[in-house]
Amino acid sequence: MSDGIIRIRDLARRYVMGQETVQALRGVSLEIRRNEYVAIMGPSGSGKSTMMNVLGCLDTPTSGEYWLNGHEVSRLSDDALARVRNKEIGFVFQTFNLLPRASALSNVELPLVYAGMRTRERRERAAAALERVGLANRMDHRPNELSGGQRQRVAIARALVNQPSILLADEPTGNLDSVTSEEIMRTFAELHGQGQTVVMVTHEPDIAAHAARVVVLRDGRVESDRSTERAAA
Amino acid sequence: MAAASLRTNKLRSALTILGVVIGVATVMAVASIVQGIRSQIFNAIEVAGPQVFYVIRFFSSVPLNPDRLPYEVRIRPIVSPEDAVAVRRVPQVSYAALWAQVNVRLEYEGERTQMMIVYAADDRFMEIVGGTLLSGRLFTRGEQAAGDRVIVLESDVARHLFGRVDPIGEVVRANGKAFRVIGVYQQPENIFQPPGQAMAGAIPYPAARENLHYDETNALFIAVKARTGVPVPEARDAVTVALRRVRNLRPGTPNTFDLMTQDQILDVVGKFTTYFFVAMVALSSVALLVGGIGVMAIMMVSVTDRTREIGLRKALGATRREVLWQFLVEAATLTLAGGLLGIVLGLLAGEAVKAVFGFHSAVPLWSAVLATVVSIGIGLIFGLVPANRAARMDPVEALRHE
Ligand SMILES: Nc1ncnc2c1ncn2[C@@H]1O[C@H](COP(=O)(O)OP(=O)(O)OP(=O)(O)O)[C@@H](O)[C@H]1O
Ligand SMILES: [Mg+2]
Repeated sequence: MSDGIIRIRDLARRYVMGQETVQALRGVSLEIRRNEYVAIMGPSGSGKSTMMNVLGCLDTPTSGEYWLNGHEVSRLSDDALARVRNKEIGFVFQTFNLLPRASALSNVELPLVYAGMRTRERRERAAAALERVGLANRMDHRPNELSGGQRQRVAIARALVNQPSILLADEPTGNLDSVTSEEIMRTFAELHGQGQTVVMVTHEPDIAAHAARVVVLRDGRVESDRSTERAAA
Repeated sequence: MAAASLRTNKLRSALTILGVVIGVATVMAVASIVQGIRSQIFNAIEVAGPQVFYVIRFFSSVPLNPDRLPYEVRIRPIVSPEDAVAVRRVPQVSYAALWAQVNVRLEYEGERTQMMIVYAADDRFMEIVGGTLLSGRLFTRGEQAAGDRVIVLESDVARHLFGRVDPIGEVVRANGKAFRVIGVYQQPENIFQPPGQAMAGAIPYPAARENLHYDETNALFIAVKARTGVPVPEARDAVTVALRRVRNLRPGTPNTFDLMTQDQILDVVGKFTTYFFVAMVALSSVALLVGGIGVMAIMMVSVTDRTREIGLRKALGATRREVLWQFLVEAATLTLAGGLLGIVLGLLAGEAVKAVFGFHSAVPLWSAVLATVVSIGIGLIFGLVPANRAARMDPVEALRHE
């Protein structure tokens, strides 16, 4: 129990749009332990992104409980959630979301700015994170001077720089070709090997195959939750 | 970061801050000019010496219309030679004489000046107004007594009328009357003169009385100089007592004359320039308002353009307050840039105006500080609405924004 980093119970998220109510999540219960590598799959509209947003404290559930690192976070205020995101969560997005006019280093520094860290320490930590993803020689490059895979690795370095409890990636390879996707997956595997907890949404079975556990959502519910052969191996 | 995102929209930013630039430039120029005027007046008084003050019929900051004098002026007698004599007898006073300030146009062989001021005074007039005799001489008591039409010209006026010709001995016409030039003097430096009110020279008082027309209410005054070492207030009180006696005023009745000390002149100038300044500030605040609204508009556009960035920052842990500050700082950076530009332009404009009117002054530091503070303040105030919009964005929706 103590190593249950994420525990959600009967999690529901409803969107009310005028007359209509969309049930994006209809009671999801799930536990993710420290150093797990989980892939979330499911058809389009099944609630994967909604779940990631809740797990990442970007969104709050309509009902249900969410315990992150032993703290109930589903009812926190906006600013408290911002602090949790800063300290506990690392996001990797499908579209990278790098600041176009800032260098790789500055992009990676950004979470540390909001953590209130001093410039010098920030630089050092950001540089170390870029080294970790193999971009030590690209620190001063701007996003438009980098390949797609390199951009995503900058984004991964940014997600890691604050040493978050969990790394959340919503279709991290969605905008990348298969060779680059494999590179990114190798990076994820390395991080997982170093003890990082990873939760990743993907459509592609061969990407999901890198994870040790696959959770499949359908219509806002968990359809299946099983370990892959990889985990058995 | 703020500067970087502003740089990309250079033209748009430049247009938006135009209002701020104009507003700040106006305030700066006016502050500089007002300061110039004040310090010139102050210098003039320094030169004349604080020991000098004046007795006049009625103290008014604007010239009175002689045809429509108000009741409280009409009941007062015109200042007279007898008044001057009474003042001269006061022990605290070293000099007192009836003078007139006469508006004239001078003419010499077709060359004419604009309307200028000639002092109708006596042989000691330079002692009171200051200045140096460049050539020739002042008029003598004999010339005064005889009512001779002689004139001591101010050097600029002499140069204007005579060019290279030596004016001494030549005859100029003042409002058509012939006056012989007997001397040229240079007025003390830094005397501020409103345009059209420049000093043209001095003539003996009796000659003015016999030959020139002037309105006695506005023109006549007694120039008084307190004895060295006597405090001006003491001399003023003694003069008041002497004048009340010579005019037979009973105790308890108001004075039928006014004393005008340098302090009062400073006061009037101070009030006048303050009104001027306030009026210009009011005008320029319209420009600042327009600038502020422009900043609000451009920041709104910027916030919309950067919705995803805002979502990202929030995802990475930016609180509402941090997002709010980011955009407030950007807005303030924009208006500060406008303000600094405005300060520079305003100073240049102020210097130009002062150069035209021939005086100079240091620009008060407070006006630059104020302009800087105001321009930052405008950014903060008008940036508040867009910054608040950014701060309140929902991170999920912001990240999904195309
Ligand atoms: N802001 C919203 N307002 C209304 N409905 C929403 C909103 N966000 C998501 N939904 C709905 O909730 C459901 C789940 O959406 P979600 O984005 O989680 O799906 P997904 O599994 O990530 O799909 P995809 O694979 O296409 O990314 C969908 O039916 C979607 O239309
Ligand atoms: Mg999705």
